[in-house]
Amino acid sequence: MIAGKLASSILDRGVGPLFLAPSVLLLVVLLLGPFVYMVVISFTDLSYALPDRDGNFLGFDNYRRLVRDDPVFWESFRTTMIFVFGVVSTEFLLGFALALLLFHHIQRRRVILTLLLIPMMIAPVAVGLMWKLMLHGEFGMLTYYLRALGLLDPQTALLGNHQLVLWTVMLVDVWEWTPFVTLVILAGLLSLPREPFEAAVMDGARPWQIFRDMTLPLLRPIIALVMLLRGIDAFKEFDKVFILTGGGPGNTTELLSIYTWRVNFRNWDLGYGATNAFMVYLVVLIFCAVFYKAVYWSRST
Amino acid sequence: MAALALIVVVLVITLTPYLWLVMTSFKTRLDALADVPIWLFTPTLEHYPKVFLDKDYLPLVLNSLIVAGSVTALSLLIGVPGAYVFARHDFPGKEDLFFFFLTTRMAPPISVVVPMFLLFSYVGLIDSRIALILAHSTFNLSLVVWMMRGFFEDIPREIDEAAQMDGHTRAGTFFWVLLPVAAPGIAATAVLCFILSWNEFLYALILASFESRTLTVGIPGLVTPHGTLWGQVAAVAVVATLPIIAFTFLVQHHLVRGLTFGAIKG
Repeated sequence: MIAGKLASSILDRGVGPLFLAPSVLLLVVLLLGPFVYMVVISFTDLSYALPDRDGNFLGFDNYRRLVRDDPVFWESFRTTMIFVFGVVSTEFLLGFALALLLFHHIQRRRVILTLLLIPMMIAPVAVGLMWKLMLHGEFGMLTYYLRALGLLDPQTALLGNHQLVLWTVMLVDVWEWTPFVTLVILAGLLSLPREPFEAAVMDGARPWQIFRDMTLPLLRPIIALVMLLRGIDAFKEFDKVFILTGGGPGNTTELLSIYTWRVNFRNWDLGYGATNAFMVYLVVLIFCAVFYKAVYWSRST
Repeated sequence: MAALALIVVVLVITLTPYLWLVMTSFKTRLDALADVPIWLFTPTLEHYPKVFLDKDYLPLVLNSLIVAGSVTALSLLIGVPGAYVFARHDFPGKEDLFFFFLTTRMAPPISVVVPMFLLFSYVGLIDSRIALILAHSTFNLSLVVWMMRGFFEDIPREIDEAAQMDGHTRAGTFFWVLLPVAAPGIAATAVLCFILSWNEFLYALILASFESRTLTVGIPGLVTPHGTLWGQVAAVAVVATLPIIAFTFLVQHHLVRGLTFGAIKG
């Protein structure tokens, strides 16, 4: 009896480590393991396309090639930056406006919010397919109406035009993710205390004054969160663009993720591909760090 | 009134693309490729049996179900006890370790899948459901830990104390008292895990592109430069999305929480 109690008490003290270990172990093995392997591979010439390149050590050659001799990488870096900043700022402004509209003017929101969830809950590949279908150059539904309204040249297809394609792809992302900003901001608005706002109205403050001096500062943490989450996901974007354009025409919509995919799984240039993948990781990491710092800095001043 | 009109416009923009996809899956080839968009038509059911039976797309549904189901089970089994530890136990470096789980949310999938592909092909796991289940469990496990920590912290600590007074051990408290209380949260987390795995494309494309490919990978497989059978690919997309929309209605209450990694209790 006493021995049993002792055993169970020892077991009990072990509950913490015992319960936590599997999660940590799985992540370390499945994320850290491959990560280290990727860094190792990035110093080699491994390729599945050429038999003599079976992982010879190259030193920093791949990194030199990436920084100095690969204009396509930098082109796709630029494309990614335009994409990320374009979609995040547009989604933020539209989503915020929609959240304010819902907050102030609509009482029974439940059904509306549920319907707004649809674009972001269905598979991004299906989203890409839907828009590919609507934007098709010959029988696309949207193409037809845009041409009928004189907004689009009869010879032009939105997904085939070098000048327009990136903006079109960004628009699809805005369609998919604006409701996310709306939902998060709305949740934030609903969580704000009511009294200070009522007091401000009593004191005769104008709506835009209240918005600027009270709503915005109070929402700051939530705004930062939603921008960070959207920024991270926009950097990761792959599925929709892959099916909409495959990165083309030319390299016009080749985001870093698509370029890295191509180097690895089309050219099978795995050593250099690992270098690319590592750099993409670094870009996201730097972005997150800078963003954190920016939020932290603006809060402390 | 103006506000309501604006909302209606937003909803039309939001829903029309999906509606058009569903309509296309029921249109004859002639109707789907018409010069002038056709809104009213005699529906046909030909595409569904053609793609799922004749083209043998049915196993893809099964693959998606098996992978998403297993990932969900695995992530909950491993993640829920971990989340409980984060919610109720204190140890040095706890928040740092917790943050480590968030970094998995930041990692771009392409940077994770490249080395995973190399490692899995080294051990001969490429094109297997196991590879995909393991890969998906990385992002879902951290989601479970983040979301469930919040759900456990919502439970007052007095409940633990009362249970321990009644003679429960800490493990017993977790299994017999906290788990039942957290059940709605676990259900919501499970649904979200399932959706994320079911929808996932990049890992599936790289790690499971033939025998064990899932529905999402089947979609671009039907889109070719030399003529796409739009009715059939739309049918696949509808089957891939309709269950998710049903699920969304079920757990919409907890979705904001899940999509923000537990940061907002919407």
